[in-house]
Amino acid sequence: MPSDRPRFIAIASGKGGVGKTWLAITLSHALVQAGRRVLLFDADLGLANIDVQLGIMPAFDLGAVIKGMTSLAGAVTRHELSGLDVLAGPSGSGALSGLPAASLDSLLTRLREHVADYDVVVLDLSAGIDRAVRRIAAWSDLLLVVATDEPTSLTDAYAVLKLQTLDRPDGDMRIVINQARSPAVGQQTYATLRRACAAFLNREPRLAGVVRHDLKVRDAIRHQQALLVRHPGSPAAKDVEAIVATLLQDWPRLVPPL
Amino acid sequence: MRLKTFRAAGMADAMAQVRAELGPDALILNTARSANGITITAALEPEPEPPLVASPQRLTTLIWHAVPPGLHEALAYGDLPHALALVLRFGTLSLQPNESPVMLAGPPGAGKTLTTVRLATRLAMRGTPPLVVTTDGKRAGATEQLAAFARLLGIQVLVASNPVSLARALAQRRDGVPVLIDTAGTDPFDPAQAEELTHLATAAEARIALVLPAGLDPAEAADLAAAYAALGTTHLIATRLDAARRLGGVIAAAAVSGLPLTEAGIGSGAADGLVPMTAELLAALLTRCEGFNHAI
Repeated sequence: MPSDRPRFIAIASGKGGVGKTWLAITLSHALVQAGRRVLLFDADLGLANIDVQLGIMPAFDLGAVIKGMTSLAGAVTRHELSGLDVLAGPSGSGALSGLPAASLDSLLTRLREHVADYDVVVLDLSAGIDRAVRRIAAWSDLLLVVATDEPTSLTDAYAVLKLQTLDRPDGDMRIVINQARSPAVGQQTYATLRRACAAFLNREPRLAGVVRHDLKVRDAIRHQQALLVRHPGSPAAKDVEAIVATLLQDWPRLVPPL
Repeated sequence: MRLKTFRAAGMADAMAQVRAELGPDALILNTARSANGITITAALEPEPEPPLVASPQRLTTLIWHAVPPGLHEALAYGDLPHALALVLRFGTLSLQPNESPVMLAGPPGAGKTLTTVRLATRLAMRGTPPLVVTTDGKRAGATEQLAAFARLLGIQVLVASNPVSLARALAQRRDGVPVLIDTAGTDPFDPAQAEELTHLATAAEARIALVLPAGLDPAEAADLAAAYAALGTTHLIATRLDAARRLGGVIAAAAVSGLPLTEAGIGSGAADGLVPMTAELLAALLTRCEGFNHAI
């Protein structure tokens, strides 16, 4: 693989409400702070949250780029406080979930053509495991699966990991435990998921990291501000920065060095 | 994965709950002790699901066979026999005594006579030797070929080249024995030939089975099958599956015409060269090419 093309990191969870979009934003932001050019693509179909969480209002979405109404640069909204570039997914009639597989593939191929200026593209996938989510996940360079210690979250995260194992037997998929009561409890939650994967899928996805439960996260979301802007140095901010540090450190092929 | 958390005062109680609820295959994912007792998280995995993302190998296979691109999406995912069964119809060519005659029709050289012989052989070996009629009195050697096999099998062959003589021939059907009617090659796009075929079928009150060789151009095969379906054909028999390697024509014909695939000509033997067509067999024939050293 050429080192000059951006790496695609898809973030999925199966279950909604586990902090997937928040993690996508904060992880992207941390990558920016680490000096990478990052495009955050909101593939959360129809329930676009990134703009709400960051308090921005994109004028165009990817659908407008595909239709030729604007260039990619024109559809990207720069979030000045974080330095993040945000691209909204096609919504309404052009929603990704309704696209036939071939159209989705060609759309993703065109997205790839349009993002040569970035080091990393972070894709915030929607909850659930519909066909669009599966294809984007299978098409990405790294899949991060977000889970909490709730049994429903574990089951749904497992479902995502299982499908990815079928769709991309060679793919890199890792687990993020979010809203952990403590690092030790988070490790236990990860171990539970890992054991299920080892026994039923014959795979042991790595732990990308544990993010502690942190009231500052809710505060930042309520104020429509990025956590790393409003509460830098908070426990959750440090945990996400640690995840990014690990990614940058042990996977130079994923995130090209500066 | 079914995941459930069990709480009990002691480990034995908790484990008993796990076994009672999830059975002996349950996997213990986590065990935690607290002042209140034991908490066990256990899981059970049902049957695996097929992948939804097309494998490059599958697409290569479909392209190699020249399967029409419009069918790639439907055939690209999951278990191939399952996908084929969703896209195509598979059926049986029933040849029980007292059922209506089966008329083997198709383009010239499709293997109608050989198929007739094979079906007759199958019926004779099953203990219900059929009455065989051929409407092809013109082609040199057509009747002789059938007659030679019929002698071997000890069955009767009649020649009836028009609707009236066909009806008379069928009047000789005894005890409701199965009836097979071999026909001359028909061009379904020629109105005169198409009419002749439908008149014969009407006179015999026969079911028409289209005999179509594998290896045809997919568009050509689809046109032919659709034209035969418009003439009232109800069954599709694919022949030469052993000789042809690329099977896009068979798939296009079945998909476009909506005719059920019923029999498959897969070899040279009279007794075992024709077998019932199934989604599993077609999938096996399609994936056979994956072992080929081929240039697309």
